[in-house]
Amino acid sequence: MTGGDDLTRRTGRGHGPPTGGATRSTEATSGPAASYAARRRVSLPVGTWGVILLVATEAAFFGTLIASYLYLRLKVSQWPPAGVEPPDLTAPLILTGVLVATTLPILLAVRAARVGRVRPAWLLLLGAMLVQAAYLGVQIHLFGSDLDKFQPTDNAYGSVYFTMLFAHHVHVLVGILMIGWLLARLIGGLTNYRLVAVQVVAIYWYFVNAVAVAITLTQVSPSL
Amino acid sequence: MARSTLRRFRQDRLPSPLIRVALWGAAAAVALAVAGCGEQSPLKPESDPARDIAKLTWWMFGIAGVVFGGAVVMLLIGWLTRREEGLPFIGKRSNVETGAVVVFGIVIPVVVLIGVFAFANLVVLDDTDAPKASSTELTVEVTGNQWFWEVRYPGTKAVTANEIHIPVRTRVNLVGKTDDVIHSIWIPQLNRKIDTVPGHRNRILLYADKPGRYRGQCAEFCGLQHAHMSMYVFADPPERFRAWLRNMERPEAPPAGPSARGGKRIFMANQCASCHTIRGTAARGDIGPDLTHLRDRTTLAGLTIPNRGDYLLRWIRDPQHFKPGNKMPALGLSDAQIQKLVTYLEGLR
Amino acid sequence: MATMPAPLARQRTERLQRIWEEPKGLVGWLTTVDHKRIGLMFLFTSLAFFAAGGVEALLIRTQLIRPDNGLLSPGAFNEAMTMHGVTMIFLVVVPMSIGAFGNYLLPLMIGARDLAFPRMNALSFWIYVASGLFVYTGLAIGSAPDAGWFDYLPLGSKQYSPGPNVDFYTLGLIFNGISSTATAVNLIVTTFKLRAPGMSLNRMPLFCYAMLATSFALVFALPPLNTALIFLELDRALGFHFFDVTKGGDPLLWQHLFWIFGHPEVYIIILPAFGIATAIIPTFARRKMVAFPLVALAEILVAFIGFGVWAHHMFAVGLDTITTIYFAAASLIIVIPSGIQLFAWITTIVTGRPRFKTPLLWIVGFIVLFLLGGLSGVTFAAIPFDQQLTDTYYVVAHFHYVIFGAAVFPLLGGMFYWFPKVTGRMYHERAGQASFWLSFVGMNLTFFPMHIVGLLGMPRRQYTYPHGLGWDGYNLVETIGSYLLAAGLLMVVTNLAVSLFRGVPAGNDPFGGDTLEWSTTSPPPSYNFAVIPRVTSPYAMWDREDRQADQRDLAGPAERVLDEGHETPASSVLDADWDEILEMPAKSWSPILLAAALAAGFTMLLTRHYVIAAVVALLALVVLGGWHWKEPQEA
Repeated sequence: MTGGDDLTRRTGRGHGPPTGGATRSTEATSGPAASYAARRRVSLPVGTWGVILLVATEAAFFGTLIASYLYLRLKVSQWPPAGVEPPDLTAPLILTGVLVATTLPILLAVRAARVGRVRPAWLLLLGAMLVQAAYLGVQIHLFGSDLDKFQPTDNAYGSVYFTMLFAHHVHVLVGILMIGWLLARLIGGLTNYRLVAVQVVAIYWYFVNAVAVAITLTQVSPSL
Repeated sequence: MARSTLRRFRQDRLPSPLIRVALWGAAAAVALAVAGCGEQSPLKPESDPARDIAKLTWWMFGIAGVVFGGAVVMLLIGWLTRREEGLPFIGKRSNVETGAVVVFGIVIPVVVLIGVFAFANLVVLDDTDAPKASSTELTVEVTGNQWFWEVRYPGTKAVTANEIHIPVRTRVNLVGKTDDVIHSIWIPQLNRKIDTVPGHRNRILLYADKPGRYRGQCAEFCGLQHAHMSMYVFADPPERFRAWLRNMERPEAPPAGPSARGGKRIFMANQCASCHTIRGTAARGDIGPDLTHLRDRTTLAGLTIPNRGDYLLRWIRDPQHFKPGNKMPALGLSDAQIQKLVTYLEGLR
Repeated sequence: MATMPAPLARQRTERLQRIWEEPKGLVGWLTTVDHKRIGLMFLFTSLAFFAAGGVEALLIRTQLIRPDNGLLSPGAFNEAMTMHGVTMIFLVVVPMSIGAFGNYLLPLMIGARDLAFPRMNALSFWIYVASGLFVYTGLAIGSAPDAGWFDYLPLGSKQYSPGPNVDFYTLGLIFNGISSTATAVNLIVTTFKLRAPGMSLNRMPLFCYAMLATSFALVFALPPLNTALIFLELDRALGFHFFDVTKGGDPLLWQHLFWIFGHPEVYIIILPAFGIATAIIPTFARRKMVAFPLVALAEILVAFIGFGVWAHHMFAVGLDTITTIYFAAASLIIVIPSGIQLFAWITTIVTGRPRFKTPLLWIVGFIVLFLLGGLSGVTFAAIPFDQQLTDTYYVVAHFHYVIFGAAVFPLLGGMFYWFPKVTGRMYHERAGQASFWLSFVGMNLTFFPMHIVGLLGMPRRQYTYPHGLGWDGYNLVETIGSYLLAAGLLMVVTNLAVSLFRGVPAGNDPFGGDTLEWSTTSPPPSYNFAVIPRVTSPYAMWDREDRQADQRDLAGPAERVLDEGHETPASSVLDADWDEILEMPAKSWSPILLAAALAAGFTMLLTRHYVIAAVVALLALVVLGGWHWKEPQEA
């Protein structure tokens, strides 16, 4: 299966208005074929809808985490409580900026994959993943040094602060593993399945980056 | 505006005779079932807030009865006309059908609900909310514990448990708090319930029209003996209340007679003093209720058993028998020792 | 259509059968991804939990048959009442509604051959079973959850619930939530993407609207619960302070988070039942649903508005006046979409030519009971009334009317309605009607007096009560009623079980149904439809021309037969324009393996072996990676 022509020969005729033939997208097992299948689609593929809904649940989850932070904050006059320094502004904001910046290579990787150019997509994803891994490494270090100063078992501030950050870092880790999986699969070339997977992982990362902004702003809010 | 509406409501301005009959008819069955018993019933109000809520209740039940009856009638018509299509008399008209859904499903509910809402939540609510600090003459502070109520009168030294006394026809500020789990203070004949939440101080109005005894109960699941955490409110004539309060402020009535003195020695020497307080003695425990005026109370263990006869003796011998899971252990005392203890405790008036 | 299929048609159906059929025997069931098999597994599992929850209920009622009864100790009673609530809500009604009915019927009603994610469907089931067993392990070792199904803090904290009871609750529910979330996502994507080309949204049956609304509600309601449960477990296991007032926490934070989940949850419980009602009523009233667009809109509105009313469970807690008034107003608004549906159903029955067979009887019962439960619910929107009657048996009456009467009755009606489709045999009609009446009488006898006894001041969740407060007679009647109800339910199960073996063969469409599942054989073939159906209205089965055109397609042009692989069409979301042809996954071990890994992980969390839990989590990720490794075209 090398090109779009083979694919159209095996389509079923469509029913209902304008679209005409419907592709057997799963049979696209090369870059150009996958790209063709993607162009023929008029509606988001099922995998993309799946990740959108997953993102919806996780957004609701982070929303309640942040809402809980604000609820606990509004209950007391001193926040952070006595004995805890207000959070540092520079490191979290810079780090978040770096993470959000990885949105660009991921976006470009999706674009490249959609036109069947696997190698540039692969390199862009690798670059993004390396930056994200470095981000996570620094964040883990900062998490540890925060723990030296105050603990989640000290008070509600510590509990919600560390839980919020931990939840975010776990999502970053999962995202890194997902890109790792993609890199492994894309070595064998592009198929329709892997192209949708790239889109899925990209949407997940756009979400994680957005959450990073929300979580960081919440985290540093006492110092703003 | 809300106050004057409330006053008019209380003057019992009922609607036209036909509606009156319908409302009473709809509520009659329930009324029959409910009347005649229930010293813990919100439908036997003995104060203004409770009375307002009770009237609101009957009105809502009347409306609900009409709605329910109407729907049942419609279903019956559906069964009776099951062989014909369309509405009776009107036949098959789809815009009438949709119209019926809009009228019965949207328009009528909106009108009725706005009425119910305005009345309940803008008028009646005004009177069941926490009283303004300046509008009450006395404050009672009730602390929920697993599984008894500690009762204090701020500004005095009075402490008791499970039985609250208030002067009749006096606005009392009831403050509810707790240091363990969430409980809920509920004396239905006098007012709505109010939860006691750690870290919060909640207040409601306590007011009784007539002298008497009103029963209440913890109304928020609080563990093993939630079922045995009841309380009484005694509304006394003002003179009697003042005398009672003065007595509550006094410390221990010293034990009279060798048996009672022996009982006091047993009390102090065993675990009793580490859980209970008897003011004026070395007993300063705060896990169980204050026992300084134990004899004054009509019941034991949160209205679980009466405070007369040999109940106190049997309680001390085996507290877990009456209230399994409560925090008082069997003390391992001999019957003779328990008898002396009882003699001492029965002297704590 | 009783005509002999032409040779070409038979060739195609045999080919489809070879492509889609799954192995028989245990391995077949353990690796199944067929939505019909999974739906049946959900059904039988939820019925087993229904029996368990029912026994818990009978224990409670027997303990309360008279004052100061000694059948259950306070600890045992607290476990029974907590497990009853947890079981019925999380292990019975929701899985039965979306996992059994939604799973089995949705693809059939939209003309699809399976759900969008068949393996994730299987995962949902295995996680459901594992999470149910997880919670019941607590019961088995004498440490069942015992702090109530909503487990208020501080009672549920380590200090006041030191044993593992509440840990079974928190971890078990987080685990169970994964199943419901996965099913919800699956149902949404299926409804959006896998409808038969031509079935635009306005041609979708109302049952599917109800499932869609339910699934969206689940997607947004479960995360707050997970947040609350995670906070609670962190407090309990690691000494965090989310709910600890002495360290800046607040027990009310738990209540807010729980009810932000808990209130939408009750609409999640009831919406599928609305869907079943809207499937049964047109069939038995022999006319289309009155005000179809209003009903569809109302179903979605109920799910939506349900998110804005949570604090009406907290009116006695001491919130400020403005807040309580807002929540009361919002709670009244939700009456409107419920009212719209109620009157649409009633009007459809009145203006049709109803046949009061067993399925319709259950639905008429449902209408009456939902009305009563809804009316008692509306009384709670009057804040002062709520502040008197909350936490009493009046509330217990209300929610049993809406849960049992309005959610379970349609589920039972649905079991009768679709029994012939699923089994190919007819249930016994007279016994079915008798079981309805017995259950209806038993239900009312059990729960109506609870209104009264609540109005007489009886609080809920008490293991016993004293004589002399006027409660004794009512409690006796309620207990007798509960035994009658149990007998009615036993009669239902016996009828269906016996009819499974001795029922009269039913044929494809014994009732004259309006939706597409009635166009298949009974039971449906593994591939559901030989020809992906043409649809021009929400009552596809009543459009004779479309069904005849399908038959001609089977013997003629092949474009809608899709027999070149494990195929089903994917279409656009709104208009269902045919977009592509999907190759669906076949049997797989990954779902049950992943569920087992997760079960091991949650057990390690329960026993506080966190390092092993992390290792197991990594293992789970490996299984997940393996799951996605093989691509559809490589099958």
